[in-house]
Amino acid sequence: MNDFDLVRKNLFRRKLRASLMIVSILIAFMIFGVLAGFYRAFTAGEDRAAADRMITVNKINFTQPMPIAYFNRVKTVEGVRQVTFANWFGGYYQDPKNFIMALAIEPNTYFDVYRSEFEVAPDQLQAFTRDRGSAVVGEKLARKWGWKIGDRIPLNSNIFSQKSGGHTWDLTIAGIVKGKAEHVDTNFMLFQYPYFDETRSFGKDTIGWMILQTTSPENNDRVAKAIDAMFANSTAETSTDTEKAFGKAFAAQFGNIALIVLLVVGAAFVTILMIVGNTMALSIRERTREIGVLKTLGFSGPRILTMVLGESVLLALLGGIPGLVIAALIAVALRNSLANVAPAFAVSPTIALQGLALMIALGLITGIIPALNAMRLKIATALGRG
Amino acid sequence: MRSLWLQVAAVTAINLKSIGQRRWLSLSTVIAIALVVIVLLAFLAMANGFQRTIAGSGADDIAIVLRAGSQAEINSTVSRDQVRLIEDGPGIARGGDGKPLISPELYLVVDGIKRSTRTKANLPLRGIGEQGTALRKDITITAGRMFNRGSNEVVVGKALLREFEGFDIGSTVSFGATRWNVVGVFEAGGSVFESEIWADLNVVQSLFNRNNVVQTVRARLTGPAALNELKSYSDNDPRLKLDVKSEAAYFAEQASQTSDLIQKLGWPLAIAMALGAVAGALNTMYSSVAARATEIATLRAIGFGGFPAFVGTLAESLLLAVIGGVLGAAATYLIFDGVTASTLGGNFTQVVFDFKLSPWLIAEGVALALIVGLIGGLFPALRAARLPIVEGLYAH
Repeated sequence: MNDFDLVRKNLFRRKLRASLMIVSILIAFMIFGVLAGFYRAFTAGEDRAAADRMITVNKINFTQPMPIAYFNRVKTVEGVRQVTFANWFGGYYQDPKNFIMALAIEPNTYFDVYRSEFEVAPDQLQAFTRDRGSAVVGEKLARKWGWKIGDRIPLNSNIFSQKSGGHTWDLTIAGIVKGKAEHVDTNFMLFQYPYFDETRSFGKDTIGWMILQTTSPENNDRVAKAIDAMFANSTAETSTDTEKAFGKAFAAQFGNIALIVLLVVGAAFVTILMIVGNTMALSIRERTREIGVLKTLGFSGPRILTMVLGESVLLALLGGIPGLVIAALIAVALRNSLANVAPAFAVSPTIALQGLALMIALGLITGIIPALNAMRLKIATALGRG
Repeated sequence: MRSLWLQVAAVTAINLKSIGQRRWLSLSTVIAIALVVIVLLAFLAMANGFQRTIAGSGADDIAIVLRAGSQAEINSTVSRDQVRLIEDGPGIARGGDGKPLISPELYLVVDGIKRSTRTKANLPLRGIGEQGTALRKDITITAGRMFNRGSNEVVVGKALLREFEGFDIGSTVSFGATRWNVVGVFEAGGSVFESEIWADLNVVQSLFNRNNVVQTVRARLTGPAALNELKSYSDNDPRLKLDVKSEAAYFAEQASQTSDLIQKLGWPLAIAMALGAVAGALNTMYSSVAARATEIATLRAIGFGGFPAFVGTLAESLLLAVIGGVLGAAATYLIFDGVTASTLGGNFTQVVFDFKLSPWLIAEGVALALIVGLIGGLFPALRAARLPIVEGLYAH
């Protein structure tokens, strides 16, 4: 029988007590996994933003339009490699509840700027740029509604209306957009800006925002200043920022999600820490006489310390690992219904590693006081007690 | 019968008095339950505060007219011709001068800087018609004065001023190339309007290049019942076909989405944490029973029944739960009640609201604590009741 067997047997000496502690630890790590996954999804835009991509919006606010003429002027700014633009459409399919993230885009440059994220088959892309009334849809969205290439989709807008009075644009699906990495969200529909601009009843010749790629991230600052200076004192002044900063500012608008996550995980942890710590102390106290016997047999103090710590760490791992697994399953189950709010909701390897580190920390913190007490225990006291 | 209750009382008293011997274990259960209650109540207070701010904003006798399918003011567009048709519609109240009491409004999003985080946030700039303030209840200018029509002056809501920088009276704010003077601060009975900036409709239209459109029309109805007249008038005229809702119904819809989300997040979290706390409570109570095994067995040996032992143990658990629940509720009240927060609302702009606890919410929190105490005490109590006497006497 080696030390590990002793640790294991000690832990499960009282099966019910051990199971209860494992359940509380499991729940703590389940909460940790779900919240951390949610938080990561929430800030994912920030993390995956390309360093050389910038966004130019109207200085008043990003929901205000700017003239389309800006597009050609920005192209000429030194340090700009490529520019494209988009306009928010406020799309829905059949019923306003079926929100669709739809954008009217500049068809020739959009996929060039986003080439590290999106992939469209060359023939499909060609079909899209050729046919003014066509659209490309993200893989995820196409799967959700069972859309295929060639389908005609009536896309409604809750903002715009057609010159003819209707609110519906009929679009033919020319291609499916695939994400180049797992975290890329493909829950969208993109169609041609020229067609949109020509048919809409108001707002003609204005665009929502421009996305530009600089020749190198070192030029970002200079490019942003040059663009904003170019339009200073015009009727539509601009504000240019990196994609990362833009995403961060936007996420911050929902309120302090990070603080809430921290509070809840913190509360759950303190709770578990107390329960587990107390129970560990209790179970070591119960075994005082045994520890005395072990010492009599020649077990050194440090060896006993390791054994007690091993017991609490083992307990934390036994509860924590299944907890993280359950969190990962919850993330998979919820991913579709949260697609609009948090598209990349998952328990990532980083979160799993952080979780493991926390488990070990939890084990060490809850075990350290009982372990020290056990180590320092004098044989005479131990055998004399109880 | 009487002796049974005396037994119950005696055993319960022994149990409660002995809590001190297990003070650390008991304290950890109390704190665990308190934390569960704090998390639950913080979420519920947030949802409740948000709900109250928005749902309290609408009136029954005010109609709000939006473009069909637009769902929120920000998405809506109503043309000048449609505004004229609504003016002549049925069910709309008229002022002393015979003019209809309506306010065409333009709702735009502008940037502001949040004081606490110094980040950009979407703020609503509302261009209101002449009757704009008259169509909202409890509007009072608390400092400065109302804007003059035709000038680029704005008044700001009290909540907006508190949460965002640069809107003090006398300061100038620039939205794009135009500069606006802040001339007054208004209160709106704690409603969502207090998170807005108001200016004259015509000025906003011309400075933002939106000359021929507004987004919504608000109208005072002759009574809540007149809403249906106006609705069918809009449905039957092909030039209109607009969504007509009571302002109360509109805001109720807006509030439900976000507060639903907060609640859907809060309850599962609280329940998951409560399960953890149940495990803790079970641990405490099993230890309590184990520690008192000899004592319980002795009582049984001198003629006490199993039932008093059961009640005594359950009472201990429930007492710990109640203390935890009350502590949690008190802590939530002290920490969170009245805390101001803001988030994006249905109109894609910041809504400033306060966390608000209510007696009903506190009752929900304490009830959750009691459930934890009940489940956590039940099984150990059963064990106490069934403890074989002989085994108990030799427990040590």
